[in-house]
Amino acid sequence: MSPALQGTVGGTTPEDFVLEVADLTGPAGVPVVRHVSLAVGRGRTHVVLGAMHSGKSLLLRLILGLERSRHGSITIDGVAFDAARPNEDELRRIRRGVGVVFESSALVSRLTLVENVELPVVEHTAVAAADARDMATQLLREVGVLGDLERTPDRLSRLDRRRTALARALVLKPSLLLVDEPGHGLDADAAAELDDTLLGLQERYGCAALICSQELRYAFRLPHAVSVLARGTVVDHGDLDHLRHSRHDVVRRLVDRRGVA
Amino acid sequence: MAAGVMRELDGLGFGAIRLVAASSLLVGLITVFQVAYQLAPYGAEVVSARAIAWFVAREIGPIVVAVLVVARSAAAIAGEFASMSANGEIDALRAMGLDPVKYLVVPKLGALLIALPALTAIAIVLAVVGGWVGMSVVLGFNTALYLEHLHESLAIRDLGVGLGKSVLFAMLIGLVAADEGLGVERRISAIGAAATRAVVFCLLGVLAADTLVNVVVYFIPGLT
Repeated sequence: MSPALQGTVGGTTPEDFVLEVADLTGPAGVPVVRHVSLAVGRGRTHVVLGAMHSGKSLLLRLILGLERSRHGSITIDGVAFDAARPNEDELRRIRRGVGVVFESSALVSRLTLVENVELPVVEHTAVAAADARDMATQLLREVGVLGDLERTPDRLSRLDRRRTALARALVLKPSLLLVDEPGHGLDADAAAELDDTLLGLQERYGCAALICSQELRYAFRLPHAVSVLARGTVVDHGDLDHLRHSRHDVVRRLVDRRGVA
Repeated sequence: MAAGVMRELDGLGFGAIRLVAASSLLVGLITVFQVAYQLAPYGAEVVSARAIAWFVAREIGPIVVAVLVVARSAAAIAGEFASMSANGEIDALRAMGLDPVKYLVVPKLGALLIALPALTAIAIVLAVVGGWVGMSVVLGFNTALYLEHLHESLAIRDLGVGLGKSVLFAMLIGLVAADEGLGVERRISAIGAAATRAVVFCLLGVLAADTLVNVVVYFIPGLT
């Protein structure tokens, strides 16, 4: 981890990082993400900002090991692995400590809402089935899903699908939350509502978050640090003040286009 | 795991009973007429019962069930998995630390391994009933005579070969359909192609496996 990167996350020491990405390049065939390094402090929020097709979603997939990297190393909650040659069993164990909200929500369509949320509990813990169901029900109500929880995801609004995905991501109380385009496809009110829920729950559960978005408001509302991604490379990196006054073209375009001073 | 297998059994097994039952009755009836037609010039239509017994147990039962399950379930399995891939559900499972093969494929395979032999047993019984309808009700032969020929020609080994084939077909259908479904790119347009490929490869696989078993069984003393 470079001193520059450490400095940008509020003075956290290396052992306080819940996620460290070093020189990540991938996927293995034709790399789209190149030499990305970033760190997320425990309980902190890091936003990866970039236009469409800048490599944000791919970056999340590479961090999770869903795509094989060409090279780079990743440390999640103190456990490091070679992103190009991860051990699948170890990767599965590491993933259990990470909550993920995909852009498409990616709820399991054959399961009901409550089954989707209780799934990680049922599969990874010794919690009794009834207790797992109670946990899932309570969390779904916390994120704002109302009505029948025995519905399947195809009968939900996009906002409720996203809420359910958030509940599923948080049910095992992960130390790290990865969120891809949280406001994608939502109107302004719904997106703002989801932001509030995300912020509130992140604070309550004390987990760190890496949020990938093309929407600048996330950079100004949520984070302790921001990385700006363009064509798969981090072109600027810093805290909010740094971003506001950045002279980098890509950052300036992002900021100016949205009328942020 | 057991709950997953039971859930799958409902769709893959119980859901196919009516189709298998109706088809097997008709196939039994068709078979008896075809054999009787060939034997009529020799005045030996009654021997059709002997052919029905072993042919249904060894060949028609397992093949009819396998073809119906391929048509009904292989496309469904491949389509479901391909759709899950396209929607990112498979990635979501992996991101939760779950093994999609263990979570999705194993219950379906378990259900098929239970369902196919059970459906094959049902198919054998109902094809024999269909044969009886043809022999007794339509061709007018004595029921006792039909049962006597059936009893003389049908051996436990015939049922063993038929049920053994059904286990092999279950493995094949489950693995090929799952592989076709999980192996697709994350595109909506890949779903239909995956379902089609699953049906084609499963059918070819079932026929090839059946041929292989028949050749092997032919050369094993005591099984023919």
